[in-house]
Amino acid sequence: MLKILTSFLLALIFATLPCCSRTEQEHPGSQISAEHAGPRQVIRIGLIPEKNIFKQIERYDPLVQYLSKKIGVEVQFKILLRYGNIIDNFVSEGLDGAFFGSFTYALAHDKLGVRVIVRPESSDGRSTYYGMIIVRKDSGIRTIGDMRGKKFAFVDKATTAGYLLPYAYFRRHDIDYHTYLRDSYFAGTHENVIMDVLDRKADIGAVKNTVFSWLADKNKRIEQELLMLVRSPDVPENALAFRKDLDPKIVNDIKTALLKMDQDVEGAELLSVFGAKRFIVTTDDDYRPVYQYARQAGIKLSIYDYLND
Amino acid sequence: MKRKILIGLVIFFLLFISSGFYIITNIEHVTSSLDGLILLHQVELVRERLLTELKRTQLDIQLRNTQYARSVDAMVTHVRTLNDIVNSCFECHHTAQVAARLDALQISIEAYKNALSRVLTLRANKKRLVSEQDKTFQIGSDIVAEVTNITDLTARKLQTSTTSALEDTRHMKIFVYTLLITAPVVALGFSLLFLRWFTRPVSVLVNATRHLRSGDLSYRIDGLHDEFVEVADSFNKMAVSLKEHYDRMQWAEQVVVLGELAGGLAHEIKNPLAGIKASMEILSTDPTISDENKDVLEKVTEQVKRMEVLIKSFMSFARPPSPQYDVTDVHAVLDSTMAMAQRHPLFRKDRVGRITLIKNYDVNLPTMIADPAQLQQVFLNLVLNAADAMPEGGTITVSTLFDPEQGRLTIQFRDTGKGVDENLREKIFQPFFTTKTKGTGLGLSISKRLVEQQGGAIRLEDHNGSGVSFVITFPVSARKEAPVP
Repeated sequence: MLKILTSFLLALIFATLPCCSRTEQEHPGSQISAEHAGPRQVIRIGLIPEKNIFKQIERYDPLVQYLSKKIGVEVQFKILLRYGNIIDNFVSEGLDGAFFGSFTYALAHDKLGVRVIVRPESSDGRSTYYGMIIVRKDSGIRTIGDMRGKKFAFVDKATTAGYLLPYAYFRRHDIDYHTYLRDSYFAGTHENVIMDVLDRKADIGAVKNTVFSWLADKNKRIEQELLMLVRSPDVPENALAFRKDLDPKIVNDIKTALLKMDQDVEGAELLSVFGAKRFIVTTDDDYRPVYQYARQAGIKLSIYDYLND
Repeated sequence: MKRKILIGLVIFFLLFISSGFYIITNIEHVTSSLDGLILLHQVELVRERLLTELKRTQLDIQLRNTQYARSVDAMVTHVRTLNDIVNSCFECHHTAQVAARLDALQISIEAYKNALSRVLTLRANKKRLVSEQDKTFQIGSDIVAEVTNITDLTARKLQTSTTSALEDTRHMKIFVYTLLITAPVVALGFSLLFLRWFTRPVSVLVNATRHLRSGDLSYRIDGLHDEFVEVADSFNKMAVSLKEHYDRMQWAEQVVVLGELAGGLAHEIKNPLAGIKASMEILSTDPTISDENKDVLEKVTEQVKRMEVLIKSFMSFARPPSPQYDVTDVHAVLDSTMAMAQRHPLFRKDRVGRITLIKNYDVNLPTMIADPAQLQQVFLNLVLNAADAMPEGGTITVSTLFDPEQGRLTIQFRDTGKGVDENLREKIFQPFFTTKTKGTGLGLSISKRLVEQQGGAIRLEDHNGSGVSFVITFPVSARKEAPVP
């Protein structure tokens, strides 16, 4: 009887195993893996590590699934560990498009000729962001002179807020930050930089205001303990751009789907979770402030080394 | 019987329902235990998978920046799977304690993901990178330890639950086997009991009819219940009725035989006695007869007269005169009878034992159609008998009673004598049965015959040593149909 019961239990357990294995389910229309490469048409979109990469995945996963359903073509995304990777990966990983940061787009447009189509607009109607140089309020750092010998946390060399702003700031003061600062490093994400400054791992940091606000909503210490010293001009929010030779129909389908996303219930709900009100049309002209800011910083996009030290 | 059938059905129904309910409850309990067991196994598997993914991710960290490092996509997939597994834990219901522990685990996993993200995205000097990597690995190790701890706890609980479930199953099995064995026995027992309940009254009735058929008219049914009480009562009444009819027939036959015998005998004796009596009377007038012989003649004459009375009684018994019906006031007849009786020597005031007559009449007693002369003969006989039964004196109470519901008139003569022996009570109305030294034994039998001739009945009631009662009943309505002269 015991054997029969044990066999029965094992049979039940194995019979129910498929139910238990849901955690192993694949994530269709999401992260690109080598196995996914196949003959069917797939649109591959890169994601920059604006925030914690796993939060980025959670944020963009519903969006690409929605796009897949709307345009009838599987859309996948690939999380990138560095802003600059997005330019390299267009070649090495065969990406079709990406959500570019403003400076990354400027670089990619210059180097690869990518074409921007849409960017999100937040619920308060803003579709731009700006960079911030932040310090702890209790650090005593208030001027560039106070920054001497301090530790600076950048995000990535290919970011407007996380690098171009402080680079331009130091250059405006004719300072080589390599020698002026005691130490500097690339934290990889804006979130990392904010948390590093907050936790005194770095004395100064350069981040984008939208991530700062997003984190400040979750962690009251950020508003209470951090202080913005320098602000960059407004630049377009991270936008979706595609390679120039991608099928125009697909580009148009995606563009249409995103622009009309706020007009259907499912899309509106996803936008709310995504943190935007709608997508708006974006063109290369919207990036003039970025190009100008780069020029002012003495950066020539075509020869700019976007790889971190 | 209906009640018993109903009780039987209710008992069977309750047995069935309670057994079914108990079995279903047990099956539910065992199934629930097995469900819980399966769930625990599932949880165990989930935690094992969680542990595996954690160890994979930890290995990813260790292998990072080595030639064996896995791709970032693979690492991200491991973490996402890890995340999905943890989230799946929240789909089940947990106790507050477990939920708190899972919440803490999820917070740790979030911290782990943050740290991993830093490790993957950070670009800094080697020392900083190693520091972040070590920190992340430590968080992962703590989570592994926690998950291992939880898994161990789960394993222990699983062991306990398995033992409990097996024990429940064993109890269930024993119960079902017991039920399979005992239920038919109990059902059979109840069936036999109910069968006995149902068939016993029939058997008793069949047995009673056999007794009647064999001539045992005194057999009575006793001990039946419910609806069969009525059947038994009817049967017993039927047996009583049969016995009465049988006795009456027997009595009638006796009376006819004895009447014919007595009539024939009296007829044969009557004429010689008349000759003897005449001769004695003539002889007694002879002046030559001495006084001594004259006394003898007078005694002979006296005995002859006594014999004539006896013959007259015989004749009266054998061929009683037809009743002369009239509207009769029983109380008037009783009063007349008692007045006559009080002139009898038995009521003489100088008698040693004085007899007192008490009247206890029902004022509502109606008149009836009867032969008043024959009634008086019967009443006088009963009063004198009562006085005779009380040689040391006593009281004779004459009562009347009318029962309008049954239309029955009752006349009772109760004395305070010593009563009648039990073995003599049945014979007291038989002809020629007497306890008196000079009695003919025909008084009560004639009285009985006269009463019954008018549609009434007479019976003896003994009062356990404090006297007897002779009770005469007449159906008033029946008498109205009698011919009125």
